[in-house]
Amino acid sequence: MLRKFNARLLQLSNNAACTQLVSKLPLCTSAPIEDANKKVVSKAMKAYLERAKEHDEFMAQKNLEFQIGKRHLANMMGENPETFTQEDVDNAISYLFPSGLFEKKARPLMKPPEEVFPQRKAAEFDLMGRPHHFLFYTGKPNFYKLLYDIVERVNECNRYEDAMNRKSIQRDPNLVLEMSGYQWLDKDALEKQCVEGINDKEYNNFKDAMERLTKLPYSYKVKDFIMEYSRPLMMQTKTHDVPELQYDKDGKAFITTYECLRKRARADVTVSSPGTGKITINGEGINYFDDIHCREQLLFPLIFTNLHKNVDVVANVEGGGPAGQAGAIRWGIAWSLRSFVDQEIVEKMRIAGLLTRDYRIRERKKPGQAGARKKFTWKKR
Amino acid sequence: MMNTLKVLRVLRRVQIRELGTAVQASPEESITVDKEQEILKHPDYFNVHNLFTVEDLFNAKVHFGHKLGSLNEKMVPFIYGSRLGHTIFDLDTTAEYLRKALNVTAHVAYREGLILFFHRGAQNMHLVERTAMECGEYAHTRFWRGGIFTNANKQFGAVTRLPDLCIFMNTLNNVLIEHTAIRDSAKMAIATVGIVDSNCNPNMITYPVPGNDDSQSAISLYCKLFKAAILRGKQKRKEDSQ
Repeated sequence: MLRKFNARLLQLSNNAACTQLVSKLPLCTSAPIEDANKKVVSKAMKAYLERAKEHDEFMAQKNLEFQIGKRHLANMMGENPETFTQEDVDNAISYLFPSGLFEKKARPLMKPPEEVFPQRKAAEFDLMGRPHHFLFYTGKPNFYKLLYDIVERVNECNRYEDAMNRKSIQRDPNLVLEMSGYQWLDKDALEKQCVEGINDKEYNNFKDAMERLTKLPYSYKVKDFIMEYSRPLMMQTKTHDVPELQYDKDGKAFITTYECLRKRARADVTVSSPGTGKITINGEGINYFDDIHCREQLLFPLIFTNLHKNVDVVANVEGGGPAGQAGAIRWGIAWSLRSFVDQEIVEKMRIAGLLTRDYRIRERKKPGQAGARKKFTWKKR
Repeated sequence: MMNTLKVLRVLRRVQIRELGTAVQASPEESITVDKEQEILKHPDYFNVHNLFTVEDLFNAKVHFGHKLGSLNEKMVPFIYGSRLGHTIFDLDTTAEYLRKALNVTAHVAYREGLILFFHRGAQNMHLVERTAMECGEYAHTRFWRGGIFTNANKQFGAVTRLPDLCIFMNTLNNVLIEHTAIRDSAKMAIATVGIVDSNCNPNMITYPVPGNDDSQSAISLYCKLFKAAILRGKQKRKEDSQ
């Protein structure tokens, strides 16, 4: 307390207006001069600085441990520790600690500490403890600032519309913001952008506000802002390249698809055109399958594309049962037919689910119950 | 005299809280103790009285209250009468209370206090937020998660400085129940300024201002006045510290 008083006196003595006041008071020369210039720091900032320092020390320690561990690992693998990369580390770990765990996150790993420990938020307030963001106390400043910005844009568009109406200028019908083929930023991406958790209700608020902004007649004025929060809808089929047709020595076009998988069955399917609709499976006809159901499976892509009388199919299939084999061939036919039809039908095939690989496999039987899910008859005693 | 005493009381409280939780030394050492006292004793150091006239209030429809049936009896002293079943505020009283509130606001801004604006209701939310941003202060116009003041260190994950003055542009929330932040401010000894309409309870507000809290014209007038008061306080601080 005395120290503070002295500090104040010192500062007063610098002020020319206060010299008279100071001359009346005894000036203690032993007071440390740094104190007078010391900035006022709030408790909040002090606590933050302490935590930041602790965190830095912790990270430095972990980093050191990681470097040493990496060198040991390199020596164990008989490699040069200086040129041992992160990729080598990952390979060494999966070699030394083979893990059958399904969940990748649960397998042993050795990564730099920056990737393992979560990033910390920087201080959100200054030395006096004043928050930087004007919506800090809402707890979600970035998200609410976004909503604020949307309203700001809405007002801007409305003002512009009023001005145009006053001048009785008609809107150019060609200048319309076309939003079909775009979708709003999804919730996860928005959360990442705001660095804040957003609940479903708040995300809907965001979408509603954006829709409202987009529907305004002059919304093209704020196109940049809207585009910042929308993503183009990609046509799914465009992500896969359709292979070029091949020709045999007779000039017949054909496509062979290898590795057609379904359950435990594996097939390779060759579709050739022109043809008469002849189907050969392991040297037999469609009678290879006894069930009508399986035969229908095979024919579905051919009938869907209306090519069942124009192409020949040759399939070699092994493993699994009839349903799995039929499914594998069906997928192979559909996958091959993409080269024989136009883009529009490919998109239709995708929507019909013909181009989607069926990943379902048999679920194992569990001890203590009759099947995968089925339970034994329950008897009280 | 009453006015000055009240100002002193709240400022002392603000200062104590700053000492306790946020700031360790007094806010500014270049302003002497004598000068501080002089400023606090001055009846209207920031000249906030000339910010508005009673006519301005009338033009902004501040005198319109709610229907008689919803009158809160604590508001009776501020009521002039009723017309066509609606209460009408006495604008002379309102002006007096509003000037007190503006004076306190300017003083808090002058001493670098944190000021937090509150408002519930979609119509004027944006206006209030913009006001807060333009005068470099803070706004909370959204759903009030409980414990922002009373459990701040947990909610923000760190020691957090709380506001020194809360300004409520309306004191009721969306479902016409008193805003929880009023109670929480009282718990944390944070001074409050609030526009209280004829259906509100002024008891928990440190500086109530009787007046219409629904019309856009009235809210925009309040926003303009509080912004001007805050900016005057900050401007004065710059001048005095030179």
